[in-house]
Amino acid sequence: MTLDARSISAVLQRVPVWLVYAVGFVPAVLYFYLGVMDRLGADPLNVLERALGEWALRFLILGLTITPLRQVFGINLLRYRRAVGLLAFYYAGLHLLTYVVLDQGLDWAAIWKDILKRPYITIGMLSFLLLVPLAATSNNASIRRLGSEAWGRLHKLVYVAAAGAAVHYVLLVKSWPKEPLIYAAIVAGLLGYRLFRKLSRQPRVQAARA
Amino acid sequence: DEAMHPLTILAVGLYGETLPNQNGAPLRLVVPWKYGFKGIKSIVRISLVEHEPPTSWNKQAPHEYGFYANVNPAVDHPRWSQATERRIGESGIFVKRRPTLLFNGYAEQVASLYAGMDLKKFY
Repeated sequence: MTLDARSISAVLQRVPVWLVYAVGFVPAVLYFYLGVMDRLGADPLNVLERALGEWALRFLILGLTITPLRQVFGINLLRYRRAVGLLAFYYAGLHLLTYVVLDQGLDWAAIWKDILKRPYITIGMLSFLLLVPLAATSNNASIRRLGSEAWGRLHKLVYVAAAGAAVHYVLLVKSWPKEPLIYAAIVAGLLGYRLFRKLSRQPRVQAARA
Repeated sequence: DEAMHPLTILAVGLYGETLPNQNGAPLRLVVPWKYGFKGIKSIVRISLVEHEPPTSWNKQAPHEYGFYANVNPAVDHPRWSQATERRIGESGIFVKRRPTLLFNGYAEQVASLYAGMDLKKFY
């Protein structure tokens, strides 16, 4: 068997989509279980909140890698992109739920004050809000109703959400440790790739004829 | 008057044992109504001075670390609210936030030290 993009794609595409969801939810279940068993260390709520947020960011990054993987290496994992994107949304939702319910105890006044006072929370909330219409339209019925061009334009909002999530992570840590910066660099790279492709496709300016 | 208050403690031990290194051996300051960074550890010198001295945390970030540093839910840190707190070590991930108490609950004993002071200014 040859080891080329087509054969690699063929092998990978044998993985059923439901398995991606099943494996994708393992971190959430695991962390919640460890949290309930009080095995998350001295500040377990913080660890749970961080872990859920990190996984949301990871799935966002994974989703943004699918198209470059296809365009540059010819490996086509497009059928998994919806699952990956929705997993990012679910993790972001769980992360938000942990903050609202477990951390703030549904104290809406305190939450609203936090949103206004702390820029990283403002950005986090906005990034999540951007993901909501994307999650709501992540189904075939929406693509049919919106038409694939409008749907495609709407879903470009994920670039803003991913950038927002990366900035949210960088700002929330109270100094400059390397992890959030590495995530931010990866997101910047994935977005930069798209910008580069778009710019290099523009028609070259014709030299003026004498 | 803060130093002479009975709740200000120069600690040499903890839970019936000699103070361990990580808690500031051999001698550390405990001022329970102030934020923890005022509880200096491993004291090497005590100077009695006439004017308010520069302090290390205040030099690092003057807007964030005041000289008095009294626990005060009404005065926000510039970057976050200090109105609620979460105790570490209780209830795992289901720990509930509590409202922060003025002077960490010692208002009855120490509020008189700051009578008439604008605590937003002298944070």
